[in-house]
Amino acid sequence: MAHPQIAAFPRLGIENTPPSRLIFGQKTLLGRTMHDIRYDEKNDEFLVTNPFAQAILVFPGGADGNAPPLRYIQGPKTLLAGAVYSGLDRVEVDNVNDEIIVGVSGQIMFFPRTAQGDVAPLRTIKSDHPQFRIGQTTAVDAIHNLVVVGGTLASANTGTTSRAAILGGGGAIAIFDRTASGLVKPKAVIGGPKTEIVRINQMAIHAPKGWIVATQPGAGGEQEPENTFVGIWSINDNGDVPPRWKLGGPKSTLLKPRGVTLDAKNKEIIVADMRTNAILTFYFPEIF
Amino acid sequence: MAQRKFSSAAAGVVAAVVIAAVWMLSSLATGTAELGAASQMARRNPTGAPQLVAMERLPEMDGAMCQWMLANVETTLMASLQQGAPAGRASSGTAAEIPGDRPPARVIRDTYPNFSAVAVDFNRNEVYLQDENLFGIKVYDRTTNTPPSAAFSEPKRNITGLLTKLEFNCGLYVDQKSGEIYSVANDTVDTMVIFPRDADGNVLPARELSTPHGTFGIAVDEDRQELFLTVQHEQAVVVYHKMAKGDDKLLRRLEGPKTRLADPHGIALDPENGLMFISNHGSYNDRQKVGTGKFYPPSITVYRIDAQGDTAPLRIIEGSKTQLDWPATMAYDPAKKEIYLANDADNSVLVFGAEDSGNVAPRRVIKGSRTGIKNPTGIYLDPKNQELWVASMGNHSATVYRMDASGNTPPVRTIRSAPADKQALAIGNPGGVAYDSKRQEILVPN
Repeated sequence: MAHPQIAAFPRLGIENTPPSRLIFGQKTLLGRTMHDIRYDEKNDEFLVTNPFAQAILVFPGGADGNAPPLRYIQGPKTLLAGAVYSGLDRVEVDNVNDEIIVGVSGQIMFFPRTAQGDVAPLRTIKSDHPQFRIGQTTAVDAIHNLVVVGGTLASANTGTTSRAAILGGGGAIAIFDRTASGLVKPKAVIGGPKTEIVRINQMAIHAPKGWIVATQPGAGGEQEPENTFVGIWSINDNGDVPPRWKLGGPKSTLLKPRGVTLDAKNKEIIVADMRTNAILTFYFPEIF
Repeated sequence: MAQRKFSSAAAGVVAAVVIAAVWMLSSLATGTAELGAASQMARRNPTGAPQLVAMERLPEMDGAMCQWMLANVETTLMASLQQGAPAGRASSGTAAEIPGDRPPARVIRDTYPNFSAVAVDFNRNEVYLQDENLFGIKVYDRTTNTPPSAAFSEPKRNITGLLTKLEFNCGLYVDQKSGEIYSVANDTVDTMVIFPRDADGNVLPARELSTPHGTFGIAVDEDRQELFLTVQHEQAVVVYHKMAKGDDKLLRRLEGPKTRLADPHGIALDPENGLMFISNHGSYNDRQKVGTGKFYPPSITVYRIDAQGDTAPLRIIEGSKTQLDWPATMAYDPAKKEIYLANDADNSVLVFGAEDSGNVAPRRVIKGSRTGIKNPTGIYLDPKNQELWVASMGNHSATVYRMDASGNTPPVRTIRSAPADKQALAIGNPGGVAYDSKRQEILVPN
């Protein structure tokens, strides 16, 4: 993207509705490839990453213009990687337990929410599952004390991640105990042909009802891949199970959904579609 | 397949409704006399309108009720039945049976082209504009000037569609001899595409070149037949033969901590003096090594044109006097030995001397409300016509100035792709989204 920015639009915005504010410029420390953003309602802050600078940035909720972040995490102690294959283009915040969560270098890393500068992670989770490899997208369920992560399923025979998985096949979702640390067996792994997961991008969790809402943008490198959707699974699902709901198809007009967030008050699922450079809001009362 | 099954079912339902409606209408015609007789039997006179016959109180509702639905939102029967579905099932449903497809209640998007880069074929008097919003290359006559009262100008040609592989197209180069158009991709397709001069519509490129992920700037040394690309994700400059195609290997790569390349964007060449200029946003890591990330100030780094490996720049332009703020595309004027730079976040164009170094002020600055420049990412010099072109992502426009323009100067011409009062949304590659519940705003990062 030639021009990085974070744009804020009114909830009821439609085609060509101008942004109510724009955050961009040198002082913001933003870069492109911000493939995630999280709003922390409790502390009125939002978080993004800068993968090129291997940094997690925290802004005040009302940030506007060329304004610097409140604080950022960056440095050798952080163990943060990022840019092309290592990740750090996604982030999650747990405002109940005051933690920032990222999936980087095949592990889930937890930082203090208020960390600033060169700070080591509080703990990390690595997958003790013969096939599941942790990816970059994380989402937290503070009610059930779970952390959900997108990743890939390696070949059962060779233990290696298949070419299909690397290119965008064999995607999966794993559910871990949020408080676990070290080499950890996932409580569940949702993956396989029936899930139709090729790869997982941004996820959101509706914790009161235990729904995992995950974007499935299809094979990487394709402009308009087939069978893209936003899938909804339960935190109690396990194995090769189809999504409970599949927000996608001709009515939805979704082509390549990559971002998703929930507006529980208005019972809406908000989706970012990268192929149409659009934000689509769906009334979806079933999950709320 | 799921869609086809649903369509068949829907068609069946529609057919049944139509048959029932036809039957009711035909019955109505023949049954009026019978209804009149029945009404008289019930001591009511036929009025042609509904009449209250009897009333029975419904039992009080208790427990679960249907969700209230927005009038403009469709839903499926299956979706309704799924309300409040309990967690923890092992579903045996097939993909075709999974509910969820519905139209969006609202869509936020920019429906107009938005220009990220510009290049001029000054032999043919045409200008090429990269549309990074709707994905395409718009071709206009060089002298097109959208009147202030007009909604927008229509391009004479439009290269767009899946065959073109244009997506997040951010850099342009036009070969003045052959007329070929080189388009750089910033994301997803990792392919530079080259079109013939007359390309139009959804057409295959004449050539393709596989590139590293995250290319941005392009420059060509026609004397040496070498093609240069900046690579944001790899903090690098890669050099290919100009006619490279497919999976052809690159000739050399400039990369490493000594280079001070940091989220490199624009590139300009001075072949006569053997120099290469690179603009850097400043975000840096050492070839993806863990914990090496840092923020450098924005800069222009200068190298020998054949620099490769981990080579330090000959000099660096950086510091508060430079006014650099997300420096993007650059162009070099060999006649005056000046570097032109699109200064994205400062809504300006900066002009430096090619021999400048350190914390220096630009020689000229084009900036201000009369310039029509807003978030410029593309720039191009037309030496034949002594014109400077600027592509602004903030306002759907490309503006033209004299090359020696300075200050708050209005453009001599403007090509606008949207009504003047329409602000560009500049949504690009939205990979994530958040909802700010306090302000009732949707946050969209590029």
